[in-house]
Amino acid sequence: MLSGTAALDDLAAAAATMSSLHPEPVTFEGTEVFQATFEMSYSGRQATLPPGLHPTTPPLLVVLAWRVADSPWGRFNMAQVRVSCRSGVRPRGFVLGGVADTDRAVAALSGEWGLPCRLGPVELRRGYDRVTLDAGPALTVTGFDPDPLGPADVQFTVTTTLAHTPRGLRLVQVEPQYDLTRAERVQPRLDRFEPAAWGTGVAVPRGAVTAAVGVGSVSLPRLRFVSRPDVMAFEGTEAV
Amino acid sequence: MRFGIFFEMSTPRPFTSETDLLVYHNSLEQARLADELGFDWVWCVEHHFLEEYSHSSAPEVVLAAVAAQTSRIRVGHGAVVCVPEMNHPVRVAERAAVLDIISGGRLELGTARSSTWTELGGFNVDPDRTKKTWDEFVRVLPRMWADEPFAYEGLCFSMPERNVLPKPVQKPHPPMWVTVTSPGTELDAAERGLGCLGVASTTYAEQERRTREYHRRILSCDAVGGVINDQVTTLNFLYCHEDPDVAARTGMGMVGLFGLNNAHLLWTREAYPTRAYQSLGNLAPGGGADRSSPGDPRGVPEGIAVGDPERVIEVIRRWEDIGVTGINFLVNASETIPQEQVLDSLRLFAAEVMPAFGGDRLAAAEAGRC
Repeated sequence: MLSGTAALDDLAAAAATMSSLHPEPVTFEGTEVFQATFEMSYSGRQATLPPGLHPTTPPLLVVLAWRVADSPWGRFNMAQVRVSCRSGVRPRGFVLGGVADTDRAVAALSGEWGLPCRLGPVELRRGYDRVTLDAGPALTVTGFDPDPLGPADVQFTVTTTLAHTPRGLRLVQVEPQYDLTRAERVQPRLDRFEPAAWGTGVAVPRGAVTAAVGVGSVSLPRLRFVSRPDVMAFEGTEAV
Repeated sequence: MRFGIFFEMSTPRPFTSETDLLVYHNSLEQARLADELGFDWVWCVEHHFLEEYSHSSAPEVVLAAVAAQTSRIRVGHGAVVCVPEMNHPVRVAERAAVLDIISGGRLELGTARSSTWTELGGFNVDPDRTKKTWDEFVRVLPRMWADEPFAYEGLCFSMPERNVLPKPVQKPHPPMWVTVTSPGTELDAAERGLGCLGVASTTYAEQERRTREYHRRILSCDAVGGVINDQVTTLNFLYCHEDPDVAARTGMGMVGLFGLNNAHLLWTREAYPTRAYQSLGNLAPGGGADRSSPGDPRGVPEGIAVGDPERVIEVIRRWEDIGVTGINFLVNASETIPQEQVLDSLRLFAAEVMPAFGGDRLAAAEAGRC
């Protein structure tokens, strides 16, 4: 069985710092959600992950974006890049990096939820013929030809993010819950991707798989589990 | 109740020609022994690109070897992935017919549509279309085996008049099955008169519900071929040992590793949102069972055939009571269990468990060889 081979020290240098493992749950109503999936090279499948996680075959690079109309942190847009993986037997997405367009959102996402996030431009534009996610020089994805799906047809994998926590360096399991009222599948085209902007040199997207766009509520419930990044989940999982 | 062994050809790392050789040769030896012991089937799956989990990409070759090395046991080509990017339907019909000839009329043909993105993406298959192409395959295969000549205009392929050769030995054609992973596929099987080849975990209660509905629906089926196959099988693990502690310790090592490798597969829905794959994929056998059941202090999940003969009989009896007509067993995973122990487990099963389900199979097997 394959496991991650990334150096923890390198990952830790870019990890967010959380003052508590008990952030206040939040719900963002009326949020536009975009998720695009790309295959990435086999050569990067282990090098992007800490030893406590296992790669999928093929590895997937997933671009996720939210356009949040209202939240305790105000209105904001967020884009995140992650890699598909497994924690024990559970499907997970390991966050490589993120960007949000307001200071308050950056502070909350990184400081409260442990999601790596820097300040930068993010725009999610939706038309009848296409959807465009533009994160400045870091990323541009365009999704074409929306095709209706059932809202439950889109799967969002639970997030795992490496963060400095009061318990030390941990993989924090963040479990966004999506309640979409509308969803469409689009064919993605990656117009721009700067690996360094997402803290990676090895997670490079190759073939586009697909993308989905939807509208609904997104909730961040209380944290339930963290795990040690250096050992398998069976050994290193801790309840919050 | 009928019994089979089921090959995934799961292979431990590092992948070398030696490890692949070991896995394949051990499987063939298990098939020969199963034939001698009175097992009914040996099944071999079709998977592609699934590192560790399954290196069984050419099951028709394996089954040709099994057919040549055995005399009685039926060979289960299952399941063939029924999407044209992987297998043209004419090639499926041809290979199946040849296997039926080589085996002397012992072929069972399973059909499937694949459920991982690893496989579908690898062949550039549109996941939205696999249910349609599977349906088309199962309807044309019996005609290809019967019509002289055969011609067709359809959704996933068309062809002018040709005689698809050779024709199978079994008339009107070999029994056909469909692998059942997602809930509801058993109804697809029933409506087409196909056998239900279970390959995913269920609880007793869930299997009972599905089996009851399957048997109800198949009574009014529109059979795709000239014969209705109304059998319902489930997939299980088998490790049988006189000492229940040894059985649990050894067997659960296999169950655990297989389950872990299964969980690491990349299911279609995780990569590709679609209505065509409603569940997240199949679970490892046993995964749906109640692992925290206080009924078994050794931690063997409900319904899993790991234990001493007494426990294994009890488990199988329960499956039988809810209408299951056959059980296919995974007998090893990634060579976790040394081959000699696997063979001993099969022998013990045949000696102590099989007689509880349908008479003297050893004698029947012997008679079959004569």
